[in-house]
Amino acid sequence: MMPNRLDHTFAALADPTRRAILARLATGEATVTELAQPFDISLPAISRHLKVLERAGLIARGREAQWRPRSLQAEPLKEAVDWLQQYREFWEQSLDRLEAHMAEVKKR
Amino acid sequence: MSVADRDLVVSRLIDAPRDLVFQAWTDPGQVARWWGPKGFVTIACDMDIRPGGAYWFVMRSPEGTDHRKRGVYREIVAPERIAFTFAWEAADGTLGHETLVTVTFDAVDDKTRLTLRQGAFDSVAGRDDHVIGWTSCLERFGNYMTQ
Repeated sequence: MMPNRLDHTFAALADPTRRAILARLATGEATVTELAQPFDISLPAISRHLKVLERAGLIARGREAQWRPRSLQAEPLKEAVDWLQQYREFWEQSLDRLEAHMAEVKKR
Repeated sequence: MSVADRDLVVSRLIDAPRDLVFQAWTDPGQVARWWGPKGFVTIACDMDIRPGGAYWFVMRSPEGTDHRKRGVYREIVAPERIAFTFAWEAADGTLGHETLVTVTFDAVDDKTRLTLRQGAFDSVAGRDDHVIGWTSCLERFGNYMTQ
């Protein structure tokens, strides 16, 4: 796993507007205007959010210059999901062992 | 949004009094006995238990691979809470994604409710969000990606 990419992924996800944009793109590609529509913010503000998501590799631009639909890129998100799952297992198994250890401590 | 929505949360009711559970998290001799996934052995455990104090662990996996991690204690509030930063260390000494882990111990009769939160963010960006947390967001994307 690439730690720097993970940092970018989590930083990109740390904003409600960007998460909403990703959720919209999970249903299919969309233009900038379509992505901006649900939000009460300017198109330049949306463009800044899209740039953050692009830098994190979470979205890609279409090739048609006029239309340029954005689409979701799943690979960095998969790494983030894997990261989360890996830690959940790390702690669950540590706590299993802690419980066994506490049973030993109480016997003394 | 509560902190819980933003963070990975693992909770467990431990059948032991709070003082003992807190000790098990702060006494290096005890930590070395249970820390890490099943089959892992802690072969080095350096803990400077005080706010600002550093720790460094080396765990050996069942396959014989060593895993190093290090961090700094941010809070030591006996017997209620400890908080520490957490990052894996690569063989060349570079650190991976740093997170903050907060463990709280609540007495429930003669047992202890242990709640562990791990935050993935190094900034407070988006703290005013009341819609969805990033863990539920990732869970939904996890479903999306396996469709």
